[in-house]
Parts: sequence; C-alpha cells; structure tokens
Amino acid sequence: MNLERIMQVDRRIIYLFVAAGTILPIIFVIGLPVSITPPVQMAFDRIENQLNPGDVVLVSFDYGPSSAPENAPMADAILRHCFSKGIKVIVIAFYPLGGLSEAVNELNTVVAEFPDLEYGVDYVNLGYKDGAQAAMRKMNENIHEVFPTDLRGTPTGEIPMMKNVKTYADVKLCVTLATGIIGEWWANLVNAQFGLPVIVGPTAVSAPKYYAYLEAKQMVGLLGGLKGASEYERLVVNKYPHLAEVYATPGLYTATKGMDVQSIVHLIMIAFILFGNVVYFTGKRKPRKAA
Amino acid sequence: MPSLGTWLAAFFTLCMLSFLYKDNPFFRIAESFFAGLSLGYYIGIVANQTIKPNLVLPLMQEFSTNWHLLFAGGLGVMLYFRYIKRVAWVSRWALAVYVGYYVGVNMMQKLHGEVLPQVGDTMLSLNWAGIGTLWNLIMVVGVLSVLIYFYFSAEHKGAVGGISRVGIWFLMVSFGAAFGYTVMGRISLLIGRMVFLVNEWARPLIGLIT
Repeated sequence: MNLERIMQVDRRIIYLFVAAGTILPIIFVIGLPVSITPPVQMAFDRIENQLNPGDVVLVSFDYGPSSAPENAPMADAILRHCFSKGIKVIVIAFYPLGGLSEAVNELNTVVAEFPDLEYGVDYVNLGYKDGAQAAMRKMNENIHEVFPTDLRGTPTGEIPMMKNVKTYADVKLCVTLATGIIGEWWANLVNAQFGLPVIVGPTAVSAPKYYAYLEAKQMVGLLGGLKGASEYERLVVNKYPHLAEVYATPGLYTATKGMDVQSIVHLIMIAFILFGNVVYFTGKRKPRKAA
Repeated sequence: MPSLGTWLAAFFTLCMLSFLYKDNPFFRIAESFFAGLSLGYYIGIVANQTIKPNLVLPLMQEFSTNWHLLFAGGLGVMLYFRYIKRVAWVSRWALAVYVGYYVGVNMMQKLHGEVLPQVGDTMLSLNWAGIGTLWNLIMVVGVLSVLIYFYFSAEHKGAVGGISRVGIWFLMVSFGAAFGYTVMGRISLLIGRMVFLVNEWARPLIGLIT
C-alpha cells in the first residue's frame, strides 16, 4: 500500500477506533486488575488507621460536572469509606460551576446505601460558598460564620454534629475532590498555615503538580485521576467486603470499570503511535525520487 | 424509556461530539446553551448560597451585631458603578480593596505554603544511606540543573550549557509525565460521556437495563 496515503489517514478514522475502544468495554466489562500505588495507599491508611469512629472529616467538593467522571468515583469511595468506619462527614463546596450539585448528587447516592445514617448527626451538607481562599482562611476562626446555615436553611449552630465543630481544630482531616487550583489552596494555605491534614483527589491533568506537595508532606495522600479513584475503590472493597455488592451494581459507573476502558483506549493510542512511527521511518529510509 | 432530562443531555452531548466530524450549527447551539446555563447557574448559586445567607439574612435578622457587613456589601455594589460613566471611578476603590486583600493573602500563601516547604524539601542529605540517597541525588541534580536552565544572565555555553542540557532532560521527563496524565484525564471525560450515552440513554431506550 502507498505509505504516503497511510500517513494521510483521516483523523476521523482514528476517532472511530477510539469510539469503538470506549464503547465496547463499557458494554462488555473486562475487569482488568488494579495495582495500588503508595500515594493512594497513604490516603486510605490515613482514614483507616489514624481516624476513629465519631471523628469529623471535611469533604470539599471542588469540582463540577465537567470533571465528574474522574472526581465523582473518588468522592463516592471516600464517602463510603468514612460511613463504613463510622466517621462523621461535613460536606462543603467551593467550585462555583456545579460543585454543590455534585455534592448533593454524590451524597444522596452514597447515603441511600447506609440506611442507619442520620442527617445532622452523621453527616451534614453546608452547601456552597463563594471566594474559596477567603472562606478557607475564615473557617480557621469560625466555620459557623462562613456557613451560617446548612443547605436546608437550618442554622449551623443548631445542627447536632456541628455544635462542637467550630474551627479546623475540631476536624481531623480534609479531603478535597478538586479540579483547577482549589485543591492546591487546601494544601498550600490550609495545611501550611493551619496544619489541617489534607488529602487531595485531583483530576489527572493537575495530578503531577500535587506530587511536589505530597513529597514535601503538605498532603497526607493523593488520588490522581481515574486511576487513583479505581485504586481507592479496590482498597475500600478489600477492607469492607459488603461494599463489593454496591460496586457490582449493573449500570453503575465506577472508576474500576472506567479504567478498563482507559486501558483499551491507551492501547489503541500506543498502536497508532507505533504505526505512525514505523510508517514514517520506513518512508524516510526509501531514497527519494528525483523531481 | 429515558426521561426528558436524559434525552436533552444525550442530545447536547451528541451535539458537542459532532464537532469531531466538523464544525456545525448543532455544536454552536449546544455551546451557546452551555455558556448561558453556566452563567445563570453561577448567578443563582452565588445569590442563594452566599449573598442571601452571609449578607442579606444576617442584616435583616440581627442588624445591630451585623451592621459591619454593610461595608462588604457596599464594596460589592461599588464594583458595578463602572457601568455608569460619570461615576465609574468609584468601582476602582472597591477593586483596590479586593486586589489588596488577595495580594496580601497570596503573598503569604506562596511564601508559607509553596516557597519555604518546597525549598526545605529540596535540601536533602547526600550522605550515602542506601538507595534512598540515589533518589535524593537525582532530586538535587534535577532542581539545580533546571534552575540553571532558567538562568538567562549567562550564555548557555561550556559548563553552564552542559548543566542546562541536563535540565532540559529533567524538564522533558516532567512534561512527558504531565502529558501522559493529561491524556488520561481527557480520555476519562470521554468515558464519562460514553457511559452516560450507553448506560443511561441507549440501553434503557432499547430496554436492556433498568
């Protein structure tokens, strides 16, 4: 076949291959193995080994629908882990374009799996607040002033689990599921200035920069993108086998299932890169015809 | 059967994906809808979740203890004076306060939260104590060579040129890692949309899944 014609392949042919590689593993789930990396293990161990039932964890929804396929499975896994261990959860949102909607959706989904949980006693949703940096600083002085009411309009001071939670000192850990820069603020502002341990679940795009914070011990765990979420799902299921049933629900999107698709698409891309290079170098080796 | 919301979401998803074939009116309509909805959502959520509970209600319910919030509210209103030509200068005062506050916050944040801990973490022991020292050495060489690469007051020749070339290699490795993660992130977003189309729209449509 003419090499030059192959090199000029329409990019839409490649899109078709990627589409097929995405759709087929969604329909026919493969179940590829998930290996655990140290940053995710650190995050899991922090909650599993260093927190006790009744401790309070702040879960900040700092992402919107645009990155939900990566961040939502992390949020679900973290919430399931906390609730399985009897840890109380305060949910907040600092991302303006859909952070609160994501918080409501994921909280409702996970809470429905734990019928014994009571709103205001085991978990609370304080809603969205604008001006994340200013709000984060003020929360060290008084969380109730930043969030005067919860999402239902109940004064924060009247919510049973919030009566003894006034500042960061009353919270054991913050987990932020983040897109963009908000996750960084938890590490370089809240952790650096107020000492609250922070776990960040960023999108894959921003994951590399968080390794610097993790290495400098400004974070206690990192869940990088869909891969990090799938690892956390595996750790949670291994520790709490009753959750395996939840994750096996037909039609439920999980990071572990997503990673099957991810692996197939990566293989397709690697094949195209190799193919392109082989064709390019083969063509280069041929002597050019004189014009 | 999928709900109306699911049908709308599927329609707009397909409109956006149609751009992969070529630019078309469906893509532009979906793009405009997205921009408009985002703005409306943002205005609504700020009004309901911040302005109402943090400004309006405290002033209405306990004015005597919350009167100082008038200053913050006033500064916010002042920003909109820029739309009235004669008094546009008023908005600059509010902007000055806003910029001043965030410069102060960010200066401390950068110094305390980034520069000092990151520099401190780069000061690693190079006394041999096993394989960990090798990683320390790589870290120190990487940081120093990249810093030399970005040092433009000396021509990149001789020793400086050699070290800066090492810096380029470290930068290339970091760019490769970042690009790999970016690809993974973008594919994840595609997966999210495809999972929606397959599991929430197409399958219920043909009665394959509840």
